Amino acid sequence: MVVLDEGRGGLRTSDADREQAIDVLKAAFVRDRLARAEFEARVGQALASRTYAELAAATDGIPGRLTADQPPGMPARVRKQRTQREMSQGELAQALGVSRQTVISIESGRYLPSLPLAFAIARFFGLTVDNMFDPDEEKAGAR
Amino acid sequence: MMTFIRPRLRKPLLGGIAFLGIAAAWAIGSPAWGLAIVIAVVAVGQTVAWYTWAGADTDESALLASRADERQKQVGLRARALAGTVALAAAYTGLVITLAVKMADAWPFAALLAVAGFAYLLGLSSYGSGEPGPEGEVTAGHQTRSPASS
Repeated sequence: MVVLDEGRGGLRTSDADREQAIDVLKAAFVRDRLARAEFEARVGQALASRTYAELAAATDGIPGRLTADQPPGMPARVRKQRTQREMSQGELAQALGVSRQTVISIESGRYLPSLPLAFAIARFFGLTVDNMFDPDEEKAGAR
Repeated sequence: MMTFIRPRLRKPLLGGIAFLGIAAAWAIGSPAWGLAIVIAVVAVGQTVAWYTWAGADTDESALLASRADERQKQVGLRARALAGTVALAAAYTGLVITLAVKMADAWPFAALLAVAGFAYLLGLSSYGSGEPGPEGEVTAGHQTRSPASS
């Protein structure tokens, strides 16, 4: 987990780091590892964090494997591409021909899109499926 | 035939017709036929309620309105599989109990289990991969069709 790397605890975090930490918190929340109040508090803490040490504190006690069973960074990448275009989840859903709930599920990592839908998402954002859904986090961070 | 009916109305209408079938059967078979009218009214009310519900922005509504996307179809398929499994378990339990208590009443449960077993085998042959081609030969094989896409 990038955010838990203690060797650079004093370094400043980026938006992508904070988004990744929030993904970890969301994964913990949907698996009932966090109560809503604690989830909201930790998300607030993650959003306010300026260093890796602060970000690590926001995800403290949550197993890193929570995101290992879903493509790391993929949900964040879909959300990032959508927010960059200032689109709502409903607008993206309409453009892709799926429901808003499905876009929410994809962005929260609870649903892996089928191959045709993955292609449709990638094409819509002008990327390749490799760029969009490659589970290599470093590539995601470089984008 | 169903294509002439608006997608949002299809399943609510089917549900209503199913209920009306029960009402008709009740009217034919029961001396208290007046209750059939009540069932018919409930059927109409259910159709209207389902049609209204089908207009909402939820997974269940999308399934009800026949506008489900791939994830929602998968959810529906899993729910149906669960319903089938529970129905099978109920039929088996009924069979065991009636065999022990009154054997003559056991045949409907046995029939249910037989039909379900046959349907399962039919599903395997319909949705399975079919016969494999000769080893080493490149073959297109049989096109499989997911029940989720139907």
